[in-house]
Amino acid sequence: MSITRKPEPVDAIVVGLGANGGTAAKVLSEAGLKTVGFDRGPWLRAHEHYSGDELKFVNRDYMWPDPKMFPRTIRYDENAEAERFPFSPTPQMVGGGTNHWAGWVPRPRESDFMMRSLHGDVDGASLADWPFRYEHLEPYLTKVEWAFGISGIAGADKYEPYRSKGYPSPPLRPTRYGKRFYDACNKMGINAFPIPHAMVTNNHNGREPFNQTSFWNQYGDPSGARSNILTTFIPDALATGNFEVRAESFVREVKLGKDGKATGVIYIDAEGNEVEQDAKVVVLALGAIESSRLMMLSKSSQFPDGLANGSGLLGKNATFHEYLFAVGLFDKDIDEPLNGWTGNYISGGSLEFYETDENRGHIGGCIISASQTCHPVNWVFPGRPSWGDALKDADRNYFNYAMKIGLILHDLPVESNRVDLDPTVKDAFGLPVARITHRPHSNDVAMGKWQVDKNMEILEAAGARKTVPVYLDKMTGNTCHQHGTARMGTDPAKSVLNEWGQAHEVENLFVVDGSGFPTATGVNPTLTMMANAWRCSDYIADVYSKGRKERLVIAN
Amino acid sequence: MTLKADWPVINGPVDPDSEERLFFTEHEWETVEAATARIIPTDQDPGAREARVVVFIDRYLSGIDYVYAAADGSGFLKMSGRYADAWRARMADMQRTYREGLRNLDDVSVLEQGGIFKELSEEGQDRVLEVISGAPKPDKVTLGTKEAVTTFLQGSFDEGLEFFPALCLHTKQGFYGDPVYGGNKEQMGWKFIGFPGPKSLKDTMDGTYSTHEYFMEGEFDWEDLVPQLKVSTFRDAEA
Repeated sequence: MSITRKPEPVDAIVVGLGANGGTAAKVLSEAGLKTVGFDRGPWLRAHEHYSGDELKFVNRDYMWPDPKMFPRTIRYDENAEAERFPFSPTPQMVGGGTNHWAGWVPRPRESDFMMRSLHGDVDGASLADWPFRYEHLEPYLTKVEWAFGISGIAGADKYEPYRSKGYPSPPLRPTRYGKRFYDACNKMGINAFPIPHAMVTNNHNGREPFNQTSFWNQYGDPSGARSNILTTFIPDALATGNFEVRAESFVREVKLGKDGKATGVIYIDAEGNEVEQDAKVVVLALGAIESSRLMMLSKSSQFPDGLANGSGLLGKNATFHEYLFAVGLFDKDIDEPLNGWTGNYISGGSLEFYETDENRGHIGGCIISASQTCHPVNWVFPGRPSWGDALKDADRNYFNYAMKIGLILHDLPVESNRVDLDPTVKDAFGLPVARITHRPHSNDVAMGKWQVDKNMEILEAAGARKTVPVYLDKMTGNTCHQHGTARMGTDPAKSVLNEWGQAHEVENLFVVDGSGFPTATGVNPTLTMMANAWRCSDYIADVYSKGRKERLVIAN
Repeated sequence: MTLKADWPVINGPVDPDSEERLFFTEHEWETVEAATARIIPTDQDPGAREARVVVFIDRYLSGIDYVYAAADGSGFLKMSGRYADAWRARMADMQRTYREGLRNLDDVSVLEQGGIFKELSEEGQDRVLEVISGAPKPDKVTLGTKEAVTTFLQGSFDEGLEFFPALCLHTKQGFYGDPVYGGNKEQMGWKFIGFPGPKSLKDTMDGTYSTHEYFMEGEFDWEDLVPQLKVSTFRDAEA
């Protein structure tokens, strides 16, 4: 292919318009930078394209990446051949994962930023401190909570660190299974509270949250309830007049100039033409799998192992947060119905077990939450019989008589858990796809086991007559959370990015998604990612673009 | 090239009472109807047969014109470009899976039970399904026991599935999916399970369909649910 067009250069390019790219687009364009945003997927219209269609949204990949167009491969052993598997299939489209997400947005904890200082060398793991602390992120957590729209009750989470402001929206009414969860936790002395939720229940910022359908997790929301980048930060960015969206445009390479700086990107537009777009700054936000893949695809004589990869760490230390849970079944003849399909996926949750307690036999901990068992075709009942009278009886007896309590596994970084380019499998554009190599650390397995068992105890306290645990066997990427593939740090030998998400070796290349997370945290990461993307984008607009440089020094 | 956001709407909602066959032969149609009736059988409540699961599967397998309903349920989206190419390739695989799977179902029936599948007794059909699934007929779920399972992805896409798992998945989809796709006739799957689904997909787009009455009942105070709030120093003005 040859370049067919070369539009006017711009100030900034943002690749990937999900949670983080959308945040960068808003911040950069509002600061006056002429910005072009690329997404390989479509630019849908929420009010026109979204409705409560289980087949379309949950079974037929209307929003999830098509595994024929964008396959991924996985192997659980270094020596095995990787197999095709839709690992961590985050929607690739304008708005990204904020289109389909349940929207759990708890704040990270102070300990998340200093795992290395707290735990030292852990066998088989590669713990690292973050190059900044909770206090540096706090103002940006607040900015995101208010600009994006989050519902919650400040003060309800007993273990939350300092916050400078409350929430802009009160939480949704509890579900019946949520009530069961609160009652059980109160009985056990566990601090349960409404998990902060990326939705509004009021008219914050003029939104109209009329969607009360309970079609939520994995569905698009046609109303203004869900906090979706597509319906919030993208319109904010467009309103500046400084931003342009190029959807269904596949960026296949970041170009490097003779001076060692990125000159822009090469992309394939919706018509199949190859186009070159130059810019002063290139910001990547494709998610930790695809951002690292794009950097690996952007080889040059200066960087034969991938752009800005002098450290050799690109793609390594990947963490994925497997979702584990236990389901409790109740007795239709005795118990009140729980209506597990109601609500906007999450109800009550807790961070009671978040901080390390060595008596448990593992370090770290994670968030837990009572959440929806979803809709009839795919309702979440592990062990649901596959056919016959048993299937029919199980659906009839338990569809409205089940609840689940899940957790987001705080998996430890391991250097050999990584993303690289698959040697044989190609995508629809003929480029090598991301291959995942992963084997859980023993701490991950232990934490998962301990917490799932604890969740079963809570289910039993809630009155469940039978519990079904789902333990960690191997990672499937079922949370769509991705981190660690281009670590942030201060030492260029031990990290790919600095504390501003800026590549150590290519000064005008920034990566503002979860790629930079040195460790995974034990909370859903999007709020932390967006706050960091905002922070890094402020640096791009206020410092880097003005020809200056700053370092962040952590006071001891 | 039509962008995904602009795919036009074609056809209309599928008529569940249609006898028109778009993909299956008459024999295949009758065989699928019989097999799906063993996956979700008819008892005191309707099963796959009454819900017209066979119509649902026939339309799905007919090509790529019944894959995605329009958001408001007025018809189906006409895909284009790379998306359409990917679906065409996938559907060709699934059509082959069904054609070969149904042929094999009859072969196994003749071998094991001395007749083609649709003419066997229900017990005979169950025996054949046990053979092709490679496992005994699933046992009923009982309370008071514990069974552990391992992790899986959310949702279930059918790409690459073998015949029997695909048939089981598609039967559930046809029994419980939105009626626009041709199954779940008169919402009988939803009524059976106690799911008060929307009258139409359009009702889920404009606030007409609400599920709030199925949430927690009665008045409540957050301080009762979250006692921490009684001692907490920080509360939002609005909460």
